[in-house]
Amino acid sequence: MLDSLLSLGGLVLLRDSVEWEGRSLLKALVKKSALCGEQVHILGCEVSEEEFREGFDSDINNRLVYHDFFRDPLNWSKTEEALPGGPLGALRAICKRTDPGPVTIALDSLSWLLLHLPCTTLCQALHAVSHQDACPGDSSPVGKVSVLGLLHEELHGPGPVGALSSLAQTEVTLGGTKGQASAHILCRRPRQRPTDQTQWFSILPDFSLDLQEGPSVESQPYSDPHIPPVDPTTHLTFNLHLSKKEREAKDSLILPFQFSSEKQQALLRPRPGQATSHIFYEPDAYDDLDQEDPDDDLDI
Amino acid sequence: MAAVATCGSGAGTTGSAVATASKSNVTSFQRRGPRASGTNDSGPRLVSIAGTRPSVRNGQLLVSTGLPALDQLLGGGLAIGTVLLIEEDKYNIYSPLLFKCFLAEGIVNGHTLLVASAKEDPANILQELPAPLLDDNSKKEFDEDVYNHKTPESNIKMKIAWRYQLLPKMEIGPVSSRFGHYYDASKRIPQELIEASNWHGFFLPEKISSTLKVEPCSLTPGYIKLLQFIQNIIYEEGFDGSNPQKKQRNVLRIGIQNLGSPLWGDDICCAENGSNSHSLTKFLYVLRGLLRTSLSACIITMPTHLIQNKTIIARVTNLSDTVIGLESFIGSERETNPLYKDYHGLIHIRQIPRLNNLICDESDVKDLAFKLKRKLFTIEAEVQKGVSRATFLLDGPRKKLFPCLFQLLEVACIPWLMASSSIFRASNIFESFLCYQLWVFSASLFHF
Repeated sequence: MLDSLLSLGGLVLLRDSVEWEGRSLLKALVKKSALCGEQVHILGCEVSEEEFREGFDSDINNRLVYHDFFRDPLNWSKTEEALPGGPLGALRAICKRTDPGPVTIALDSLSWLLLHLPCTTLCQALHAVSHQDACPGDSSPVGKVSVLGLLHEELHGPGPVGALSSLAQTEVTLGGTKGQASAHILCRRPRQRPTDQTQWFSILPDFSLDLQEGPSVESQPYSDPHIPPVDPTTHLTFNLHLSKKEREAKDSLILPFQFSSEKQQALLRPRPGQATSHIFYEPDAYDDLDQEDPDDDLDI
Repeated sequence: MAAVATCGSGAGTTGSAVATASKSNVTSFQRRGPRASGTNDSGPRLVSIAGTRPSVRNGQLLVSTGLPALDQLLGGGLAIGTVLLIEEDKYNIYSPLLFKCFLAEGIVNGHTLLVASAKEDPANILQELPAPLLDDNSKKEFDEDVYNHKTPESNIKMKIAWRYQLLPKMEIGPVSSRFGHYYDASKRIPQELIEASNWHGFFLPEKISSTLKVEPCSLTPGYIKLLQFIQNIIYEEGFDGSNPQKKQRNVLRIGIQNLGSPLWGDDICCAENGSNSHSLTKFLYVLRGLLRTSLSACIITMPTHLIQNKTIIARVTNLSDTVIGLESFIGSERETNPLYKDYHGLIHIRQIPRLNNLICDESDVKDLAFKLKRKLFTIEAEVQKGVSRATFLLDGPRKKLFPCLFQLLEVACIPWLMASSSIFRASNIFESFLCYQLWVFSASLFHF
């Protein structure tokens, strides 16, 4: 899963912290996409170009297109090679270049951009960049754009981090135990349930990715195995279950108003010798069986 | 007996009523009036617009929200001139479905649509609308979904109520003349329906250039543009009655997606005390003014789980008319809870408007859950399996804690505590005084 992160496209957010740094993973992913033949652009804001290129061999270094915003972020030296509009202008210029083919843009780092730019502007720019292929403005087919952003989550409050993670297609949170690094990958596909996975890995000195089977490899959609499922029918003072004998007795019970087939036949079959209805009456102890009409005494 | 009942009802009807049984009506009696056709007409004086009906309670004109179950919970439908706010679920999976059902209902009824989004192109949104379930297929597909979940208990019921076995399970009438329609979430709406409809789209990245400077105004530029766009459409197409020569009055359905997210240029999701924290509330206020003066209804989805300042959520709820919150179980511990295993999430109805009324039409059922079956989105009351009051207390929403506690006390049967519970439930002072006296009396009895 970790090696196919860039195949989905869109914004991939790498969240790291002080204990588990993410720049090496970023460089490993950059190396992987450069070896695949994609165009790779780096917006370097946090570390110098030499430090970023350190560890890559020369053919990868030749494939990387590096935009340096570390040495002169506010363009005070007013050289012609600096792109107008700062980092966001560089982002838009990369997208407008539209060579057919997949493009990977690595942002090092999103935290630097968040601290220097308003969050809404950054979100709008990232959305426009990562959804380039969705809106066919011109007729030329634009390749898939993947944006890799490194975010130091301890530097920001829950607001910007939440806003960026709601924009991201994939979110990789770095963690680990006891010297073993792990990546918790959360994939949000547009109209499907998000899937998450934890992958243990390590980065080799030449920045290639080594996937490992860590202490536990879980690959399941969100479920926590530590909480046992709650059964609501325990701890009750009355019994809700039926035993087999009780169930049989319940099923074989004939209800008083049940219209069984025997009753139906008995009603439908014409009774012999009964054309009219009869009334059967049993006199009570208090009944008066005098045949005289009491109205005869009246003198009208 | 039947003739007496019908002669009493309705002024101006002569003779006996026409007793033709029609499947779409609740009653089989029809008033013989000057108009013989049209089930939407309630009299010659009211203008009948397709897809609307007057509310039986307060006469307000209602449109369907696209989900008949939701219409029932809101008291018949969404009133024209009001805003339906949907608080999105955390991963934004189910709220787009409600949004699309609203728009699809507008297309099926022939209403004009206005779709505004900062995330997706409105043309793409319209391509993904769900297909309406038509007359001949609907009963079969609906029953198929219902029968798939048939439990053995329903067979036992038929032993006693065997006379009802011949009646159909669900009442589904013909699609086009009914108020609400069912939609198939797995199919797309036919292209010819979209092309036959009249719609306007507002896609923010196209309307606003990226180098626009933020003017010193209290509304975000994106919101200003959207309000101007809505106002133009309402004025040009005559939804506010400004062009009386227009042929047929129609309803404008406005759908705004992900309002308040950073893509609209609003920073309430990013910071707790942003520079434009009143921008969204002012937008809603102006929008409501536009809606009240025109024949339109609006649906807005908002990612309230991202909003950092909780007072803004309270203000937004007050400024909207109907507010529904969706809470999906993905990623929460409720996913493994067997009480919720049939459902995908909970629906919270946070607010229902009181339009020309002193009370609002809230339903009696407060525990509502939704599930997205293979094709249909259904809303049901949660069936509480088992009588375990403790889990009800823990899993119920927070505002129901108070009555839950008194239910626990009733179970424990402590009479003097029960009497004090009725004080809190009493609705006026006189009743509570009586209850207080009763409490004192029973307390004194208890001590003796």
